[in-house]
Amino acid sequence: MRFFRQDLHTLTGAYALDALDSANEITKFNRHLSRCQSCASEVRGFREVATAMAFAATTEAPLAMRERVLAAAARTRQLPPEILTHARPRRTGSSAPWIPWLSGAIATAAIAVAVFFGFSQAHTQNELNQARSQNQALAAAQTRVEAELSQAREHDQALAQILGAPHVTLLSQRTTKGGVAVVVLDAATRKLVVATSGLPALPAGKVYQLWLIGPVKIVSAGLLPTAQAGVTTPVVATGIVKGDKLGLTVEPAPGSKQPTTTPILALPLPV
Amino acid sequence: MNPNDSDASRFRPATADRRGEQDLDDLLVHVARGDQDAFETLYDRMVGPVYGVIRKVLRDPSQSEEVAQEVLLEVWRTAARFDPAMGGAATWVTTIAHRRAIDRIRSTTAAADREHRTADVSPPHDEVAEAVEASLDRERVRRCLEGLTEVQRESITLAYYGGNSYRQVAELLHVTLGAIKTRIRDGLIRMRDCLGVS
Repeated sequence: MRFFRQDLHTLTGAYALDALDSANEITKFNRHLSRCQSCASEVRGFREVATAMAFAATTEAPLAMRERVLAAAARTRQLPPEILTHARPRRTGSSAPWIPWLSGAIATAAIAVAVFFGFSQAHTQNELNQARSQNQALAAAQTRVEAELSQAREHDQALAQILGAPHVTLLSQRTTKGGVAVVVLDAATRKLVVATSGLPALPAGKVYQLWLIGPVKIVSAGLLPTAQAGVTTPVVATGIVKGDKLGLTVEPAPGSKQPTTTPILALPLPV
Repeated sequence: MNPNDSDASRFRPATADRRGEQDLDDLLVHVARGDQDAFETLYDRMVGPVYGVIRKVLRDPSQSEEVAQEVLLEVWRTAARFDPAMGGAATWVTTIAHRRAIDRIRSTTAAADREHRTADVSPPHDEVAEAVEASLDRERVRRCLEGLTEVQRESITLAYYGGNSYRQVAELLHVTLGAIKTRIRDGLIRMRDCLGVS
C-alpha cells in the first residue's frame, strides 16, 4: 500500500504536464490528489512552471482569429460557476413557490410540464404524474418538451448539469404582462435554468432580457431566445449571489447594459 | 538563476507579480459576468501564450489556430469555473490550452508521426515578431531548462512541448517508466526553484 501511494506520488510531475497515459490514470490520480494535500500543492507549483513554459512559447496568433473569437463569444452563452457548497434551499415567500430536493429527472419532467402549460404553481412529481396519466394531451406535450429539453441538454453541458444536479429547486412566477417564467435553481452551485411560456410577443427591435437583480448591483443574465409556439428554450444564468432576484425586462435589441424598463418579473432566488 | 530576480515574476504572475495576476484574476471575474470588454483585454493578454503552447504541441498552424479558438472560447464560456484557490488566471488559461492541444493529438491518428518528434527546446517561429516580455520569459525558462540534467530537460520538453505521455517519453528515451516519472518530477522541482515559484 505504501509502495502504491509513493508510486502515485511521483506522478505529480507527469500529471502537471498533462502527460498521464490514460483517462483512467487521470481519474485515479485525481482521486489521490483530493486526499493528498502535499501532492496538490506540488502540482500547483509544477503547473506554474508549465505556465512559465507556455509564456516562453508565446507566439503571435493569426490576426483574423481575434475577430472570430470575440464575435463567437458575443453569441455564446456562458456556463455557471461550480461552487462546492451545499446550501440547503430555504423557503421563501408565496411569490416563489418551490419544490425542494427534486432529482434531475424529476426536474426535467416538472419544468417540461410547467413551461408548456404555464403553471405558475409548482407541483409535486406525484401530481404531475397523475395529471399526465389522466390527460393524454398533457402526456404528449410533456413528451415533446422533454425531447426538446434533452436535445438542449446535449448541446449545453451547463443545462445538463443543473437539470442533473442532485437537489434543485423549482420556482415559477407569472410576469406582470402575462405568461410565466419557470426556473430550476441549483442553490448549491448558484446557477439556474430559466424557461418561459406565454410571454406576450414583442415588436421588432425589442428583446426580453434577464437580470440578476442584487442588493448591490444588477447584472445582465442574457437574452431570452425567441419563443417557439409561445415557449422559450431554457437559458442558463450564472453566478447568483445571495439576495439576487431574477428579473425580466423588455429592452431594445440587442439588449442593454442595465435595465431601461420596469421589470415584469422579480423572482427571489433562495441561494 | 537567483529566484529573487525581479523579472522572475514575468512568467509566474501568480506568486511574484501579485498586481499583474490580480488584474488577470479580476478580468476573469468580469468575464465570468459576461463583460465582453474584459474578455477582449483578456484575449489580448493571453492569446500569445495560448496559441504559442498549442502550436508547440501541434505544430500544424491551421490545427493550432482551430484549437486556440476553441480554448479562448472555452475561457469565455467557463470563466465562472475559475477557482483562484487552484492557481492564478494565467495558469488556468494555459492549462486549458495545453490540455486541449493534448486532447487533439491523442484523438487524432497522427500518433505514429508524433512518436518521432524530437525535443524542441528552441523557441518556435523565431521569425515572428514577439513582445519583449515574451522573450524575457523565454530567456529565463531557457536558462532554467539548461540548469537541468539532460534527461530531466528532455523528459520535460518531450512531455510538455512535445505532447508525449510519460510512457511515450520513457520509450523515446529508453528509460524505465519509474525512472521517467522521477526525472520529470525532479526536473520540475528544479525548474520551480530556479523560476522562484513558491
